[in-house]
Amino acid sequence: MLISTFKQLGLLLCSVLLATNVHAVTVEDSKGSFSLDYAPQRIVVLEFSFADALAAVGVAPVGIADDKDKNRVLPEVRDIIGDWQSVGTRSQPSLEVIASLKPDLIIADISRHEAVYDDLKKIAPTLILPSRRETYSDNLKAAAIIGKIVGKEQAMQERLALHRDKMANMAKQLPSQATVQFGVARADALFLHTADSYAGGVIQALGMQTPQSDRDDSAYRQTSLEQLLAINPNYFIVGHYTQPSIVDKWQSEPLWQVLQAVQNKHIYSVNPNVWSRCRGIMAAEHMAKDLLTIFNKP
Amino acid sequence: MTRPFYGLTIVLAAILLLLLGWWNLFAWSVIPIQAQDVWLSLTHFDSQSISHRIVQDLRLPRLLTAMFVGACLATAGTIMQGLTRNPLAAPSVLGINAGAALGMALVSTLPILYGALSTSLAAMIGGGVAWLLVMLLGNSWRIGGNEHGRLVLAGVAISALCAALTKAVVIMEEDQAAGVLTWLTGSLADARWQTWQHYWPFALAGLFGALLLTPSLNLLQLGEEHARNLGANLLRSKLFGSFLVLLLVGTTISAVGSIGFIGLIVPHMARLLVGQDFRIFLPVAMLLGATLVTLADTLSRAISYPMETPAGAILALIGAPFFIYLVRKRTL
Amino acid sequence: MTAQRFFPIAVITLLLLALANLMFGAVSLSVEEVWKGLYASSENHFTIYEYRLPRIFLAILVGAGLALSGALVQGVIRNPLASPDVLGVGHGAGLAAVCYMTFFSEASTRWLPEVALAGGILAALVLWYLCGARSSAIKLAITGVALAALWASCIDFLMLTKPLEINNALLWLTGSLWGRGWAQLQALLPWFVLIPLALGLSKYLNLLDLGDDSAISLGARPQHLRLLALAIAVALTAACVSICGPIGFLGLVAPHLTRKLVGGRHQPLLPATMLTGACLLLAADLAARTLDPPIELPAGILTAIIGAPYFLWLLLRMK
Repeated sequence: MLISTFKQLGLLLCSVLLATNVHAVTVEDSKGSFSLDYAPQRIVVLEFSFADALAAVGVAPVGIADDKDKNRVLPEVRDIIGDWQSVGTRSQPSLEVIASLKPDLIIADISRHEAVYDDLKKIAPTLILPSRRETYSDNLKAAAIIGKIVGKEQAMQERLALHRDKMANMAKQLPSQATVQFGVARADALFLHTADSYAGGVIQALGMQTPQSDRDDSAYRQTSLEQLLAINPNYFIVGHYTQPSIVDKWQSEPLWQVLQAVQNKHIYSVNPNVWSRCRGIMAAEHMAKDLLTIFNKP
Repeated sequence: MTRPFYGLTIVLAAILLLLLGWWNLFAWSVIPIQAQDVWLSLTHFDSQSISHRIVQDLRLPRLLTAMFVGACLATAGTIMQGLTRNPLAAPSVLGINAGAALGMALVSTLPILYGALSTSLAAMIGGGVAWLLVMLLGNSWRIGGNEHGRLVLAGVAISALCAALTKAVVIMEEDQAAGVLTWLTGSLADARWQTWQHYWPFALAGLFGALLLTPSLNLLQLGEEHARNLGANLLRSKLFGSFLVLLLVGTTISAVGSIGFIGLIVPHMARLLVGQDFRIFLPVAMLLGATLVTLADTLSRAISYPMETPAGAILALIGAPFFIYLVRKRTL
Repeated sequence: MTAQRFFPIAVITLLLLALANLMFGAVSLSVEEVWKGLYASSENHFTIYEYRLPRIFLAILVGAGLALSGALVQGVIRNPLASPDVLGVGHGAGLAAVCYMTFFSEASTRWLPEVALAGGILAALVLWYLCGARSSAIKLAITGVALAALWASCIDFLMLTKPLEINNALLWLTGSLWGRGWAQLQALLPWFVLIPLALGLSKYLNLLDLGDDSAISLGARPQHLRLLALAIAVALTAACVSICGPIGFLGLVAPHLTRKLVGGRHQPLLPATMLTGACLLLAADLAARTLDPPIELPAGILTAIIGAPYFLWLLLRMK
């Protein structure tokens, strides 16, 4: 069944690509110049942000490093790309599974997969781009590169323009002065995503403020209740990886009530997977919609 | 060692502890707290003032827990050095910390065990099993150096084993590696009144029990033969001592996580100050342990201000060179 | 079991494990497909020739190297609980690797093995500086333990203050054969010229077991012998760790297990230990790839899981 789906998808892609008539393209990736003289049909991506970029122009990857959990891929992306085969964890994807998929393009992350770049190249041409440490604007640049390499430059530019419009529209409906802090909560630790992180970038792109920190060398920072008090954001958005998380434990403490966001009942919980692991055009739009729902609550 | 000088040491150590404790309440705070705020929050508590509430709700339980953690671990180290007559014995060296961490990791990640045991009980059992293994392994090979070295080697092997298993259990459960490290390094940042309430009764009982044990520890230092001739019940004191060590270390680890090297360093410092008599140097060791952990906790906010560095990591950084010094000084 | 029976059995086990490693994984292949995969024309060429084959060779070399250095360390320190870990080499290499990853996070990971190798050897030099040539073996081991504790606490401190790099660093520190290929094998191979040298020492290591005085009267020079054996152990451990990260317990368990099977004489013990180590790591890596495909578990954790029951069994038998 899987194979027939792939075949159908492949045929579909063929017809689409023939219509657009692609030839050799060259782009700059993290290792210098990368060119491809055909439109790739079987793409394996090793980070969620790349799957997002492919889905944005209607291309379905055959394999995703999804940590063996399909639910980690953004629902919007899942709807577009259909089924795929898992190639293992993002940190150590299984090269034999990648090879068995016979891809004609692999998209890898420079921060996680540089050590196996040479091996990946033996399997298929490998486009290596920043993903894990990327900011919001880096991500859009990477999406444009991916669009070009899969022969959908035009479609990707249109999609990016649409994205900017959408974000600008949503920004108008959001308060520009509010400081919004996002963090993921585990059983024993809260990690804040600062202004340098991807989520921080999306919040800024929506015209809102992220709390300023006097030490901005880290995008993710473990934070105690006391430090959260010092930051004291207007809005605090939490993704709970476990329930009950440390934030749930804090709620019974008297100091929790001192937080501005608590007093004004501006604590919201969102899907940590979307906000922390997924990055990309559709992920950003998903996050923006989450924020709209939050701010337009009566 | 004359009694007056001993009294003076105790008083000085207590004053030092109080001063450091006072400093701990307001120093390196992310939200600025003045020294007088601390006083005011204790005498004229104002529930509207954030700094008062931080002192009351965060700093005080944290400080008290830090002091007890130091005292408990120093006491546990003293008892272990007394029981094994080994200057290198300490909870972290002989595998108790690693075993307790493994016990906690097992009950909180494996669904079968979930809820079957409380975490502190699991920490005690894990630590106890690890210690038993170390003693068995260390005593079973008579070749290769004296007893001190053998025990340490056995401790290292068991610690490494427990640590690897803990890592395996936690990595399979948590996808993010950061979780493993917060698991394994003790920190006082999350110590609250609730932690304190669960902790102090056991800790206090253990500390009092240790004071009762000191005469037997003194006898043990004469060697088992002599001690037996003098009418000591060796088995009873060894069992009681081991139980106390497990109680002290297990409750401490379940309250704040694994903190190493206090049990190794502090007994030596105390012995250096007031001599070999356990009845005298155990109280000094308790005070010094409390002082050291309080200091480490203050530093934990200072080192990468405004972020916090777990106190366990700082103590390990101080303790490891001391360990090297101890090893080099002794003829092994 | 005698040595005569051990060697054929161990070699056959090794070959069977190697074959199993070629056949099984996230994708299972038949023997025929494996054979065809050795040729460039096959569709499984990458999986067999570029991926599984170099990894098998690496597992054999690293397993043999770590086990041999474990046997050497246990022979010199004359305590069966000693292992290369007590020399602090693995932790020293780990510290160097973590420093490199945190302070030069933008730099290429290509230099990581060299940095780790330098760290491991540096750690051994610090140990040698602290102990000198004249200290007793057990003192050397305990000083090594204390140094290893120092390196480990530095690693923890770095990882806790620079949390962004923690994932990469921790992955490296658990030890894995993932993504290692022919290039790493090439880097590792030159170090194995030390093996004949180590095997040549076995006669003298037997003399050490009699005690220093007897050894001297029989014409050995214990201090030189210890230094040489430990230097070989350090070099082999550092080389292996720099490629795969610290793989725990192999250096402790493999010599132990082998001693039970072939006895304590070093002439059969050293080569037999290498075979045992190679088999153990091959088995661990096979399990790492097949337990939960396509997820790859770190082989270092699996060797620990194999090591734990063995330790308990050892304790039960002592009664």
